[in-house]
Amino acid sequence: MRSTDVYRVLLWCYPAQFREEHGGEMVAVFCDQLRDARRDKGRFAAAVVWAGAFVDLVPTALSEHNHVIRQDVRHAVRILSAAPGFTSVAVLSLALGIGANTAIFSLLNSVLMNTLPVRNPHELVMLTDPSARGNTLGMQSGERYFVTYDEFRQLQEQHSVFASVMASSSMLQRTEARSGGGALEPIAIRLVSSSYFATLGVSPVIGRTFDASREPAPGATPEAVLSHEYWQRRFGGRPDALGRTLILRGGVVTIIGVAPPSFFGEMVGERPDVWVPLAMQATVMPGRDWLHDQSGSLEKRMWLHLFARLAPGVTTQRAQTQANLTFSQGLATYYGSIADPDDRKRFLDQRLVLRNAATGASALRGAFAEPLFVLLAAAGLVLLIACSNLGNLLLARTTGRAREMATRLALGASRGRLIRQLLTESFCLAAAGGLVGLFVAGALRAGLLRLVADATIVLPAPFQFRTIGFVFGLTLLVGVILGLLPALRITKTNVGSALREGRGNAGSAVWLRVGRLVVVGQLALSLPLLVGAGLLARTLYNLQRVDLGYVADDVLTVRIDSQTAGYSQVRQTAAFEEILARIRALPSVRAVTYSNNGLLQGSDNGDQIAVEGYSASGRGDRGSSYDAVGPGYFSTLGVPVLSGREITNQDRASGPMVCVINEAFAKRFFDGRNPIGFHVTQHYADQRHTYEIVGIVRDSRQRGLRDPIEHRFYTPVTQPAAMISGVTFIVRPNGDAVSALADVRRVLQQTEPTMPIVRAGLLTAVVRERIAQDRMLAQLSIAFGAVAMVLAAIGLYGVLSYGIARRTNEIGIRKALGAQHATLITMIARETGWLLLIGLVAGIAISAGATRLIASRLYGLSPSDPVTFAIATVALAVAAVLATWLPASRATRVDPLVALRIER
Amino acid sequence: MAARRPQSDDIDTLLPLPTAVFHILVALADRDRHGYSIMQDVGARTDGKVRLSAGTLYSAIARMLEQGLIEELQHSPDPASADERRRYYRLTRFGRDVAVAEARRLSEMLSHARATKLIPRKL
Repeated sequence: MRSTDVYRVLLWCYPAQFREEHGGEMVAVFCDQLRDARRDKGRFAAAVVWAGAFVDLVPTALSEHNHVIRQDVRHAVRILSAAPGFTSVAVLSLALGIGANTAIFSLLNSVLMNTLPVRNPHELVMLTDPSARGNTLGMQSGERYFVTYDEFRQLQEQHSVFASVMASSSMLQRTEARSGGGALEPIAIRLVSSSYFATLGVSPVIGRTFDASREPAPGATPEAVLSHEYWQRRFGGRPDALGRTLILRGGVVTIIGVAPPSFFGEMVGERPDVWVPLAMQATVMPGRDWLHDQSGSLEKRMWLHLFARLAPGVTTQRAQTQANLTFSQGLATYYGSIADPDDRKRFLDQRLVLRNAATGASALRGAFAEPLFVLLAAAGLVLLIACSNLGNLLLARTTGRAREMATRLALGASRGRLIRQLLTESFCLAAAGGLVGLFVAGALRAGLLRLVADATIVLPAPFQFRTIGFVFGLTLLVGVILGLLPALRITKTNVGSALREGRGNAGSAVWLRVGRLVVVGQLALSLPLLVGAGLLARTLYNLQRVDLGYVADDVLTVRIDSQTAGYSQVRQTAAFEEILARIRALPSVRAVTYSNNGLLQGSDNGDQIAVEGYSASGRGDRGSSYDAVGPGYFSTLGVPVLSGREITNQDRASGPMVCVINEAFAKRFFDGRNPIGFHVTQHYADQRHTYEIVGIVRDSRQRGLRDPIEHRFYTPVTQPAAMISGVTFIVRPNGDAVSALADVRRVLQQTEPTMPIVRAGLLTAVVRERIAQDRMLAQLSIAFGAVAMVLAAIGLYGVLSYGIARRTNEIGIRKALGAQHATLITMIARETGWLLLIGLVAGIAISAGATRLIASRLYGLSPSDPVTFAIATVALAVAAVLATWLPASRATRVDPLVALRIER
Repeated sequence: MAARRPQSDDIDTLLPLPTAVFHILVALADRDRHGYSIMQDVGARTDGKVRLSAGTLYSAIARMLEQGLIEELQHSPDPASADERRRYYRLTRFGRDVAVAEARRLSEMLSHARATKLIPRKL
């Protein structure tokens, strides 16, 4: 009867056990129902019966499956609770593994993948460089990092491809403000165009945002929109904050609205307190005019990031083409006055690149993305090793239960049922590990952020769906991996032999083979982790000992922002000299000088140069970095003057223009000849400054730790090649640095109160900050490597222990027959030796490939550094030998009589 | 094979009974039956208002066997009309007690409803 077959097929929805128990009856009953329905009420009634069967099927099948699962889970929990030691160790190791992976993934998610909390983030594009922060004065060829205010206005007219365009300052302005008669407090301000909130599609929770219909004239709109967090913190979340004023250094702004709680802007990792219109730039940054390009100097102030929402139906490609058309036209007008055609061509070689901006912009990405991926890979490996260890352990326990399994199989349990139960056990372990892992992840994530030691980084809420999904998926994967080995074991159980043998001897041979394979794999995977850790640790070591060219200990740097005072360049220089004299007079100061770009701040000057007697070939010799320094700069720092003299206070603005070059410069441009007396001409557009070389100094580092030392020259601050907006005072204290710093602060406050201190502290702290990320990577990879090594050693110990226990009989016989300790040890060592050898060789091969992935992070050593490889290999070998020694020594202490009696 | 739990004295843990279970207990109260017979009896008794389909019926039977409310008969009760493929079920003592307890519970609820004049005395 066809209906029977169809119904039987439907019954496959039920669990196998239920089907076997009641399936036959159900088919019989169904047939009776159909028969009676047809007989009594005709065909329609039969259809009703079928419908009833279908409707009934889903809920009851589900409930039966649910019942089986609950039974299995109850059983699994019972089994796991019966071995609390093993279970807690297993759950903890899993929690650590899953937690570490989740923490790193959630950071990656926040930094890389989260879309902005704005309307339709996928319609947003960015026309400047998402990872750039800061500002440039002058010119930038190639792909633009930032744009100027004028360029933004020009592009805003581009209605054909953009629905709207907005600009925002690439750096937060960290300054101070007073509100409602309170004290001066730190505040972080983002300057944005009036189209900012409209372009992003963000509505205020109270009040309003800026009027997007037009960009106001400078100074015309003294308004401010608060962030939700700042509104809560400073104004208690009260609606009467609207209409209140914020008193900034350069003026007053009125609060007109508050942004929604989840909104932090377009820069991931930064959290402004207030948004203020670009038109109010002079109020927020007094003494500077960044809204207009300097007339007559052809130096652009590029400081804005540009975002836009594409007009409907417009592709990124088309928008980019159109935007660059407008952009080039603007450039042609601006640089039209340049006489030299080659020069002009170089200046016009600038372009905008459009990128999708759904995930916003971030300086974090460039810095963090790669190390986070590396860490994720390392954490993944550790988790794999931990899982395989646990899998091995579970397998061993299953082997111990071989008799129980065989009995149940003999009594009629299906293999499928047993496998299902074992998998349930491993999933319960994995689920417990995953749950605890979530908490571990929360703590680890906070710890990771703190390791980087940058308190200004604020990342949005830690746990979002993607992260929860990751944990869930990872836990599932772990559960499957853990359950695989024991499940495989079950399918190979030969019921008859298992029941016959004492403790399942033959079965355990299978386990031993699998166990050995797993151990070899663990050794092979932990070696790359150890090698990587070694390479990163040595990189850190090298970075900490980078030869700066001067002694960094006991050097204070204090940076002041001189532009806020609004002096002319001449007056400014006089102010610097007065401050210098006063600081020098302090008893707590041994020596002091200053420079425009400071030390290791990442800022620098660079322009085209022409060197007398040298014809440029075009390969990196058309330009040079340079800095403007105060008198006694090199002697204060401790950089030796190799020839000639250094810059002194005799070098006035009215005197002959002089400069000092470094060794690299001398070698590059004067190979062999004596540079003293020759001239270097710096030029930018139509400006030219010619300096006579009066001295050569040893190479030293002013900009960064990692970059190769390049050729540079130094001019006196009184004869600068470019405008100076601030100087860093470099102080060598006489004794205690803390009191020296306090004294210097006092002098600055008293002498020039209108020049705020931007940064102050020890140079060694700056160095530490610059290598913070390398430190984090090194510390974490060492931790991962160590854990992997311990896990591999434990795995090795476990397999060896079991193997030796199996051969207790044999060992007993050998001892009884007179075998010496040495012979026994050799026998055991030979077994380990092979495992170790194969594991290490495989590990070295994997390491050789894997270390190329971190090549860019290394400093001072190559990814295939033999010393590091050797140390890591030896370390792992030692751990393996230790792991072998315990079971080996136990074997040699076996009492032959006891051994012979054991039924193995 | 379904495990048979030892009969618990704690009848209350099983109350309130699901509708299907109670109806099956009632059906088995007067005589032992096989599955289809239970189905027909419940349908007839409730005038077609409660129709158990195969899935619901056997799902309930599986639970009731586990809980010890019913047991399977080794032989058919009536050898004459025996159908080899059918399995017959009988109410256990425990099952009877549980059915009685549930009936009592339902009756109490009915009294409460009558006491507040929600429903008339003779419904």
